[in-house]
Amino acid sequence: MQRNESRIRRLHDLLTRKELSCTELTQKYIDQIESDNARLNAYVNVTPAQALKSAQEVDKKLHAGEKLSLLEGIPMTLKDNISTEGIETTCCSNILKGYVPIYDATVWKTLKAHNAVMLGKTNMDEFAMGSSCDTSCFGGALNPYNQAHVAGGSSGGVASAVGGNLAVYGLGSDTGGSIRQPASFCGLVGLKPTYGAVSRYGLIAYASSLDQIGPITSTVEDAALVFDAISGKDEMDSTSSGARETTADKLNGDMKGLRIGIAREYFEGIRDDVKAALENAIKTYEHMGAEIVYFNLPILKYALPVYYILACAEASSNLGRYDGIRYGYRAQSYNSVHEMICKTRSEGFGAEVKRRILLGTYVLSSGYYDAYYKKAQNLRGTIVKAFRSAFETCDIILAPTVPMTAFELNFTAKDQVETYLTDICTVPINIAGLPAVSIPCGFDAKGLPIGMQLIGNTFCETTILKAAYHYESEKYAEIYKELDLGVRL
Amino acid sequence: MAVTKEEILDIALLSKLWVDESELDKLTEDMAGIIAFADTINAVGESAEDFDNINNLSNVFREDTVVPSYDRSLILKNVNGGENGYFPVKKRM
Amino acid sequence: MSYELVAGLETHIELSTNTKIFCGCTTAFGAEPNTNCCPVCIGLPGTMPKLNRRVVDYAILAGLATNCEISPISKMDRKNYVYPDLPKAYQVSQYDKPLCERGYITLSSGKRINITRIHIEEDAGKLVHERGDTYVDYNRGGVPLIEIVTEPDIRSIEEAIEYVEKLQLIMKYIGVSDVKMQEGSLRCDVNISVRKKGDEKFGTRAEIKNMNSFTFMAKALQYEFERQVDLLESGERVIQETRRYNTDTGETEAMRGKEDAHDYRYFREPDLVTIQTSPEDIARLREMLPELPEQKLARYVADYGIPEADAQLIVKYRKVAEYFDAVVSKIQNPKTASNFIVGQIFKALSTEAAKEELALSVSSEMLAELIRLLESGKINMGMAKSTLDKMLETGKHATELLSQEDMAGLDENALRNHCMEAIAANPAAVKDYQSGKEKALKAILGAVMRATKGRADAAAAEKLLIELITK
Repeated sequence: MQRNESRIRRLHDLLTRKELSCTELTQKYIDQIESDNARLNAYVNVTPAQALKSAQEVDKKLHAGEKLSLLEGIPMTLKDNISTEGIETTCCSNILKGYVPIYDATVWKTLKAHNAVMLGKTNMDEFAMGSSCDTSCFGGALNPYNQAHVAGGSSGGVASAVGGNLAVYGLGSDTGGSIRQPASFCGLVGLKPTYGAVSRYGLIAYASSLDQIGPITSTVEDAALVFDAISGKDEMDSTSSGARETTADKLNGDMKGLRIGIAREYFEGIRDDVKAALENAIKTYEHMGAEIVYFNLPILKYALPVYYILACAEASSNLGRYDGIRYGYRAQSYNSVHEMICKTRSEGFGAEVKRRILLGTYVLSSGYYDAYYKKAQNLRGTIVKAFRSAFETCDIILAPTVPMTAFELNFTAKDQVETYLTDICTVPINIAGLPAVSIPCGFDAKGLPIGMQLIGNTFCETTILKAAYHYESEKYAEIYKELDLGVRL
Repeated sequence: MAVTKEEILDIALLSKLWVDESELDKLTEDMAGIIAFADTINAVGESAEDFDNINNLSNVFREDTVVPSYDRSLILKNVNGGENGYFPVKKRM
Repeated sequence: MSYELVAGLETHIELSTNTKIFCGCTTAFGAEPNTNCCPVCIGLPGTMPKLNRRVVDYAILAGLATNCEISPISKMDRKNYVYPDLPKAYQVSQYDKPLCERGYITLSSGKRINITRIHIEEDAGKLVHERGDTYVDYNRGGVPLIEIVTEPDIRSIEEAIEYVEKLQLIMKYIGVSDVKMQEGSLRCDVNISVRKKGDEKFGTRAEIKNMNSFTFMAKALQYEFERQVDLLESGERVIQETRRYNTDTGETEAMRGKEDAHDYRYFREPDLVTIQTSPEDIARLREMLPELPEQKLARYVADYGIPEADAQLIVKYRKVAEYFDAVVSKIQNPKTASNFIVGQIFKALSTEAAKEELALSVSSEMLAELIRLLESGKINMGMAKSTLDKMLETGKHATELLSQEDMAGLDENALRNHCMEAIAANPAAVKDYQSGKEKALKAILGAVMRATKGRADAAAAEKLLIELITK
């Protein structure tokens, strides 16, 4: 099997040729989870009964000779911040333990209509706030390539599951890099769509103006197929956009004349091996006929503080609702309603979430609003404009996804700010609302994957996925072979 | 911009979070670091753009047509069915 | 030293849309607790609001009816505060770009009360306190409100009340709310301060929340005015705070404790998009605007010559005014209609509610028919009045209650014959009259009326009798 052959298509063919039933396929994944999840901690809630029930539906259709759509019967997973009716959804926070949504997120509704087989909900940093999944109340998800390293964050569980062959694909969410960074750490493809391309309805909000749902897959074509299924305007999400085209059918063609932009700032302060891998990738693209354009984006240096100010401001508001009254955790003893709310929140939220709520409250509070929130909002405008003008000279921007590879488990930053700095390459994309895909482009000395980001102009998912697909095909022999973790279906 | 313990306590009150006396020093120090980091944006001059909204959309409306509400047993599902149809907020526990 | 009151009002009005502001749940009043709810209006994690178009339309109508400028670009913001009745811990409202700005309402004195802004927002749920515990009902959560904020232009309790009455009436006319103070669909907060007469500078203000009737509003303002004056007179300061009127003690009292310290941390609601209003939208809505009470009043007085007091009474009730307009369009003399309405019909509509609802069995067409009979001389005023009473009682048409003979009317000759017969039959009375006893004419006139079964026009008959007797 060629690594960049779509895994979804391959399984679809197996199913439709009746070489194995959907129930058998699903059972194989359930067994795999049973044997490996303890090692990876990818899933926080496995739902085998639900998965087998969906599989039986698919088998019924197959039996009746009905045609299957590509995603039908394909075992997959959802990050635990995507609402699933009747299935506990916790955001990996103690404050939401036991919370069972009474409605489905739009993306899940859509995939359900495709008879997707959901194996369970996957691990994440608490409320998607973190870069290594270690703020999860269930403990972190581990890297399938080396369990002494993290899977990344915040969608670490999805990456761990897909990388460890415990799901064919998964949906994560990306507010500042939470799809791309774990995809990069786990040698996977992670697509963060344009803001508004995929409905956020049912995604438990971290920072509403930055959050986007997207796929984590093993191949570019899989990412394109899943994106095509979940993107489009949703009546329930006013910020979702009607602008869309299918991408999976447009991956072929060539790279001739594609203008790849390199922002010099993106290559400063990144680890040498990461830089070397990226430079190789640039050469590969040149070799494939792309044109390389260099420019500066000095405003990028402010992207990180701008991100933390805006994301935390929105988070402080989005997380105000966890008061113990309507769902989730409630403090055990208290003397007044005020005390009940404060105690519930203090006991229910973890340290990082509390820090971000406090920062968000601070930057919005009177006296500080102008210096922080308003200023950051204005700089967001400057960043949007800077990317817009960059895209006048190029079609995509190539950049590292993370300045390093997967952290070691015992990696402790000297302070929060140092941890935040690892998001430096991914956050500008959320600030500007752009699409970006992370794909593997090499390994470090320890054999851990290195990722690169291809960033597109708004709603140009096709352009970046096509460029990613070409690189993937070109480098299959060198990089992707290494990425296989043993026998796969 | 230096942040004081009092400010942290005020912000915590607004955020409905309790800060234990024993955590206050460490938290103030952490927050001071994060705030100093946030403050770096103020090195940019006044040239920043006035920014409206990331999605650039306008006038997305729904029509004023009634959609059936949820069954109350579902609405109260996450509070063990509630009490007499209400969400209970016990004043003391 | 004499002080003057300075007040500005914030009026919250619940809009009478079918559905809530951000979801399709009904706004119907009085349902079982938590039965008009869905994931959106109880703020479940991950849900998103979707703005009801009619809420925007209604707010703009309210703005146009109060002479506001309509903002071409507007947006929604989050007002953050934690309270059990607020399921998202923020109220979606409008902060710095409200839909309407810079309007006014003119009081009867001619003074303008300037309106700063009108914005849209969602209502909170309701807390129920029982047996020492609190329970939450989110049925009202998400019901659309407009908040109308005035400048501190009000200088007396009377002005405050007239302003609210005028506002209430305008909202009724444009049909965006039923503005019932008792049911909470109109709620007033007053910012009140005092200053020495002649001073330019405003004093420190206190905000009094939620007065649910005009009587309480008047009492609360009076109490608060005196309280502030007393404070200043005794050398103390007024504290800027939120107070509530206690209907039991008749006093205002401070409302919030320290734990409710508020800093609303407004910021743009990222889950909603910009609201753009084009000149075409405004024109379309202006088209929908009915004639407003002030315009009607002016028209009744100037064009119809109706006494202002009567016109006021008609205009006060939207349905009565519409009824009057409908009758007037089918008859010659509007004054006849206004007299009937302010007289007999108002007597029949004895309560405010009956006038408000126009609980009447006589349709505008029926009243117009009666007036047309009068105007064509087929019946006289006395008959018209007694017939209207019967109509109000039975709900029957005038033509059903009056016989052919009743409606035959009397021509000049017939009346002359009846008069001559009455004179011939009452020689004594004629004699008395001729000797100066003017009262004696009544007996003769009575005979004419009896003979004509009341169809005679009494005034015409009297005139004719005098002419015949003195000839």
